[in-house]
Amino acid sequence: MAVILDLVEKLSVTAEGDTITLPITTPGQAALAASWCQRTGNTLITADATSITVRRGRPPDPITDLPPARRPGARLWLYTNFDCNLACDYCCARSSPQTARRALGVDRVKEIAKAAPAAGVLEILLTGGEPFILPDLDQIVTACTAALPTTLLTNGMLFRGHRLQILQAMPRDRLTLQISLDSATPDLHDSHRGKGTWTKAVAGIRIALGEGFTVRVAATLTTDGQHEERELRSFLDSLGITRENQVVRPLAHQGVADEGVELTVQTLIPEVTITADGVYWHPVGADNAEQLVTRDIFPLDAAIELVREQYRSHRNTADSAARAFPCA
Amino acid sequence: MEPLVVGAVAYTPNVVPIWEGIRDYYRTAPVEMDFVLFSNYGRQVDALLSGTIDIAWNTNLAWVRTVLQSGGRARALAMRDTDLTFRSHLVCRAGAGLHGPGDLKGRRLALGSRDSAQAAILPLHYLRREGITDGDVQLLRIDTDLGKHGDTGGSELDAIRAVLDGDADAAAIGITTWESIGRNELMPDALEMFWTSPAYCHCNFTALDTLDTARADAWTTHLLAMDWNNPEHRRILELEGLTRWVRPQLDGYTDLFQAVKEQEIAPRWL
Repeated sequence: MAVILDLVEKLSVTAEGDTITLPITTPGQAALAASWCQRTGNTLITADATSITVRRGRPPDPITDLPPARRPGARLWLYTNFDCNLACDYCCARSSPQTARRALGVDRVKEIAKAAPAAGVLEILLTGGEPFILPDLDQIVTACTAALPTTLLTNGMLFRGHRLQILQAMPRDRLTLQISLDSATPDLHDSHRGKGTWTKAVAGIRIALGEGFTVRVAATLTTDGQHEERELRSFLDSLGITRENQVVRPLAHQGVADEGVELTVQTLIPEVTITADGVYWHPVGADNAEQLVTRDIFPLDAAIELVREQYRSHRNTADSAARAFPCA
Repeated sequence: MEPLVVGAVAYTPNVVPIWEGIRDYYRTAPVEMDFVLFSNYGRQVDALLSGTIDIAWNTNLAWVRTVLQSGGRARALAMRDTDLTFRSHLVCRAGAGLHGPGDLKGRRLALGSRDSAQAAILPLHYLRREGITDGDVQLLRIDTDLGKHGDTGGSELDAIRAVLDGDADAAAIGITTWESIGRNELMPDALEMFWTSPAYCHCNFTALDTLDTARADAWTTHLLAMDWNNPEHRRILELEGLTRWVRPQLDGYTDLFQAVKEQEIAPRWL
């Protein structure tokens, strides 16, 4: 009983959202505190053998603070295969011609796409390795675009022969092609992606535009390459890529990258990512076991909700820690 | 036009967001308001009587003292729905064998602060009505939050501690404290409630008859329009512990006026 009296007294002068820590002497006191918190709308954050930490009030839902398009699950990434015709030196997924194919497969993609709208997904993004390596990419794209607006990431280098025919058969209205290009001239792009790749990528952009697709160009810039951005944007303007379809992102220290921004589940707002191996926190961590959330892709809504719950937990824990240790 | 100035007692830092929320709610009203916080009800009633503030958010004792000091020139504007049905409880250790006020004879009763209507003044009044006279019960007064009329709840928690520690056989507490500790449902083997008082009124917004009636009515009408189903309003209502503002029912103060008189409690707190 004493622990309840202490909780009432201390929390009455504690601001909403702040925490208090009280000593306890028995596990029963922690259980009693948990029951009291449940009843009174407060939150037991931690309990061990000697103390409990309680937050005044319920934690806010950090997801409601995010714009709808950034809420976990709004964007659903699908890693279609992992193998690639290139071996970029900063690839976050360790993709290369030597990488074994780990394909999601048409059947699973169809099942995911069918369940995605009801699970709150607003957009599907397909990435590889290089998706155009797959012989059944047309079926994958058809399944996704039938369900939701879809973005297909590619290096744009394989638009010829049968693969060009696959491209030409894809729907224009619900599909955006996102092609990677890191610089306005070949040197920087080729230094990361291989000699001659810049010329082929630019040719791919022109083919896609000529075929009537909406084309988004995404650049990955290292710290050294930041000065390239202005020239790149001018070049993309000249190609006819609208500014809203010019995406410049920093290099992530993931996969085979030697440098880049450190990204962890604690610092990343999740973008649910599905590979053949399971459900991951974010596409930059799709080859990182620390970002594996669950191996169970289905039911899709449960997998997405699990990511949301973990995000809430991380954020609320971080907020509580920040309140508990304010910098004087 | 100048905003009406409302006084309230800062019995906890948590009252600040409540009054900021109410002030913001009045930004769209025909009459705006601002607020001033006091450290105790004595100074707040003085400020109301001197015209420093226009309206006071008063406890029941502060209302009684305002009426007595102003010669009946006070007017209650509104109160919480929860203020209409306030009660006091007597609690004891579970299994102590107390079943009613009569069982307190010859025992020790812990009271909250002597200016708390719910934890001292009214329990004594109702006990006398039940035939328990001075000398029948040994009183343990715990005056830990004097000036705040028991708002902190701290003296009531201390009264409960006295029971649990064996320093008292029973404690007088308000229903809000009984609710806040989970009644006897979380630890049924610790405490039990063996008597409940009649219902009485607790807080109200008090003005003097010198406040312009049209302004007072406009302010009150806007207050009564707060809506539990409006999320912004609801946040304020939940913090202040009500579901809707209501018109005052002054009959609910009759017992306290009698108690103040019979216990010779001074009209003004020095």
